[in-house]
Amino acid sequence: MIRRSFLAVSLCAALTLAASAKAEEIQVGSHMPLTGSLARSGQSFREGMLVAVKLFNESQSRHQIKVSLIDDESQPAKAVGAVEKLVSDGAVAILGGYGSNIVGPASDTSNRLGKVYITAGAVSEELVRRGSKNFFRINNNAGYQRGFEGMVEELKAAGVSIIASTREAPMLLAKGLEESLAKKGVKVTLHAFDPAITDFKPIVNKIKLQDKPDLIFMSAYENDYVGIIRAAKVLKPPVKLIAGAWSLAIPKMYQDFPDLMQNVVGTTPLPYPVDVKDEEGKRFVAGFKAMFNKDIDYAATLSFVKTMVLCEALARAADAGTLKSGGLADEVRKTSRSSPLGPIVFDAVGDNPNFTLSMGQHQDGKIVLVSPAEQSTGKIAYPGLPW
Amino acid sequence: MLELSQQAIFSGLLVGSVYALVALGIALTFGAMKIINLAHGELVLLAAYMAYFIESRTGWNPYAAIPLAFAVTGVVSVAVYLLIDRIREHRELNSLILTFAIGIVLTNAILLIFASDVRSTGSPFLQDAISFHTVYAMKSELTAFFLSLAVMAALWWWLKASWYGRAVRAVSSNRDAAMLMGVDPRRVELAAFLVAGVLASVAGVALFTMSVVQPALGPALTVKAFIVTVLAGVGSIPGVFCAALLLGVTEAMTVTLASSALQELVGMVLFLLVLFFMPNGLFGARARRG
Amino acid sequence: MRTLSVPALPALLLAVAAFAVPLVFGANAYIMGLFVSGLIVSGVALAWALLGNLGGMVSFGHAAFFGVGAYASALLSARSGLPVPLSLLAGGAVAALFSLAMLPALRLSGPYFALAILAYAHIFKILATEASWLTGGSAGLARFPTLPTIAGIDFSSRLGSYWLLVAMVAACAAIYLAVKRSHVGTALRAMAESEDATRVVGVNATLLKSWMLLLSAFITGVFGAMNAHIINFLEPDYAFSGSWSVLPIIAAIFGGYRTILGPVAGAVLIYLFDQLVAKALLPVGHQILLGVLLAGMILIAPNGLFGLFGGKRKRAAHAAA
Repeated sequence: MIRRSFLAVSLCAALTLAASAKAEEIQVGSHMPLTGSLARSGQSFREGMLVAVKLFNESQSRHQIKVSLIDDESQPAKAVGAVEKLVSDGAVAILGGYGSNIVGPASDTSNRLGKVYITAGAVSEELVRRGSKNFFRINNNAGYQRGFEGMVEELKAAGVSIIASTREAPMLLAKGLEESLAKKGVKVTLHAFDPAITDFKPIVNKIKLQDKPDLIFMSAYENDYVGIIRAAKVLKPPVKLIAGAWSLAIPKMYQDFPDLMQNVVGTTPLPYPVDVKDEEGKRFVAGFKAMFNKDIDYAATLSFVKTMVLCEALARAADAGTLKSGGLADEVRKTSRSSPLGPIVFDAVGDNPNFTLSMGQHQDGKIVLVSPAEQSTGKIAYPGLPW
Repeated sequence: MLELSQQAIFSGLLVGSVYALVALGIALTFGAMKIINLAHGELVLLAAYMAYFIESRTGWNPYAAIPLAFAVTGVVSVAVYLLIDRIREHRELNSLILTFAIGIVLTNAILLIFASDVRSTGSPFLQDAISFHTVYAMKSELTAFFLSLAVMAALWWWLKASWYGRAVRAVSSNRDAAMLMGVDPRRVELAAFLVAGVLASVAGVALFTMSVVQPALGPALTVKAFIVTVLAGVGSIPGVFCAALLLGVTEAMTVTLASSALQELVGMVLFLLVLFFMPNGLFGARARRG
Repeated sequence: MRTLSVPALPALLLAVAAFAVPLVFGANAYIMGLFVSGLIVSGVALAWALLGNLGGMVSFGHAAFFGVGAYASALLSARSGLPVPLSLLAGGAVAALFSLAMLPALRLSGPYFALAILAYAHIFKILATEASWLTGGSAGLARFPTLPTIAGIDFSSRLGSYWLLVAMVAACAAIYLAVKRSHVGTALRAMAESEDATRVVGVNATLLKSWMLLLSAFITGVFGAMNAHIINFLEPDYAFSGSWSVLPIIAAIFGGYRTILGPVAGAVLIYLFDQLVAKALLPVGHQILLGVLLAGMILIAPNGLFGLFGGKRKRAAHAAA
């Protein structure tokens, strides 16, 4: 019985393959950090990409996209090697990885080889300052910045204290916020800390006794969030809200540290339990569930969108017959579409100027979108603190 | 400003007491054998993960994990000693590289077993705040502080009063003479490593209750402990404790008076200055120049 | 009079291998990339072994020189328009300059020196992060020149970088050999036997050690600079990453740090082993195998693979002397 159904399945698969063999096959390369320090994001990236390719291939029959993926181990040298290998194996474009220090050299190599490179995991300004014609990205530092700025305006907060790790992405976001909030007349204080720090009480105490802000914003990573919120729970500074950047408003943080996360706000594109309104988002959620039997997360969504954008541009270029003659970059630049992450367009240096994230609040195990107002799925608890 | 400094000093003392717990193990084996165990940070981390294992499986207080943690760190510590004991030439430097290699193995073993997620205690009691007038702490930090004091006292007594302890001191001051007196230095060194394992188990559990652990933390713990050992100078248990508290307070004051980005820098510079200009450490007795 | 400290046969074998690699793998950019990265580690391992063997000092912080060399070369080529070949040398020179700050550490005995250098590596990394007006801080540097094309050879290509690195490693090995055979080398070896005795004969031990530290820093800085121009992105976490201190140690111990060819061959072998074998066996945590290897070498063959090779010959030479 089992064998027969297996046979039937493989027969079906063979037929589908035969059918798709008629369509034009387009080879795309990808490098992602499946191991090493960025592995967790890399794995989500991989999942989002696979779902996007599957949905795209099923949605039409003229073009079939085939992706080969290489693990870059979170290391720049490996990523450069991967891009070279992928292009020499015939990839016409590269779906990029995670982390500016890895995406930077990898996209340089890709540019040198004349191939389009698109990423959703590198926010450094340096990348778009290079002015490469073949480089595109979905998200950027400014988007995270706008997400939090919007909330500060909506809450009419008078003062913000930023606690930021001196690592690349957190510092970039912190510096950007410091500048833009100050311009809006908000009193901002920046506290940069070395990533090796574990006791945050001296910093939080400075905030409590000197800054006296309405909001605390953490630009850091998971272990730092835990340390900072703990210190705040002990010292109880008279603030109204604690907010933070990536990897904070995610279900896992609440599962692991339930008594620290209540009412904490972080950047997120989606509420939890997942609730998407647009058609594409719904297909993505269903496809993701079918393939990996779990809910979509933020990194997977980013990767899904960047892959979809590239697939569509590839199809357009192939239809126009310009794929081989370098027309792909122009087609990507013509992109103008909505997505689960909002509208996607690219400027002259490949940045997506519209990128903005919502802010989500941990409320009893759920994540409720609380800002911007037009996206919100619930009311913000404000003042709302973990204690 | 006064209130800020009070809190910084208080926080620094509490953090320093855990530095002391980590450093005592390194100082003990270093004093006894002139061997720096670069895998000691990983031993501590191993104990912290045992605490996580017990807490997440049973929901007990993490301190209940000390016996299990000791069983693990004790075995590993003794294994480290037995490996070091096989080194024949250039013992000082080769043991440094060997324990470094063992550290790499342990870090990756922890990564393989426990994955790279960040872990810390979920016990509401331990995370609870407690305040004295204007200064605040978590209960876990105060627990760790008093535990550290108790462990230090016990170690001090052990070295002073027990046969093994006195033998450790005898071997550390003159190995050949101790041998002539009928002390088997290998047995004594083994005992020192076993006790270092005990210290690591307590330190690891304490660390888990008051801070966040992840597999890559080991080398940072070792380095911090070594800084404390250098500040203290060789051969003084209270010296280690004082040096650790000093480091903790210095770090906290750096954050308060200057910038938190400079905290690690100040620790490292202090380390080098003492190394260069006070070769006996702040509280020690013997020279370390080559 | 033939007291060659480089065994002629292994040297010949290595040279043949260096020529064979591009012939066999030249078309495979991925494998060539691994060789290029392996050769970078070779250079640092050679520098590390020079300090260890001639200077008698074990360092845990060569990442300090590697990072300084990388930043110096990147900044000089980008801001002051220095041609990359010169900026590579300048990177080495600046690394050597920074190593002057470590001279006080030379008076320390073995383990203390090792860990003092580690502290320097930490300090430099924090300074590189904090001096953002110069280094771009944690956001990093991306816009600086790649390796140039000279006389029709594109050194930024995998093959070009490979040959350049082979030549550089060979040149550094030759320098090492020359130093070892000179009076300085003799004095250093005597010093390793008994520092007090040599002091009596009038050898300034600290001065000689200082020169070794400077030379080791210079070589490491040049290779750090090479790596920066090949990768073309720098940030403090990467440039001063602990792995630039750790991999050379493993490589040199594996190959034999008392030989010249050992660290060179050891680095490439270790790097390929880690990437092609260990990673395939254990996608996460594959460095555990490197740790086991390092511990095993220290316990079983502390003189390394090439040490086993040359061991007998050396003992015979000692007996003859």
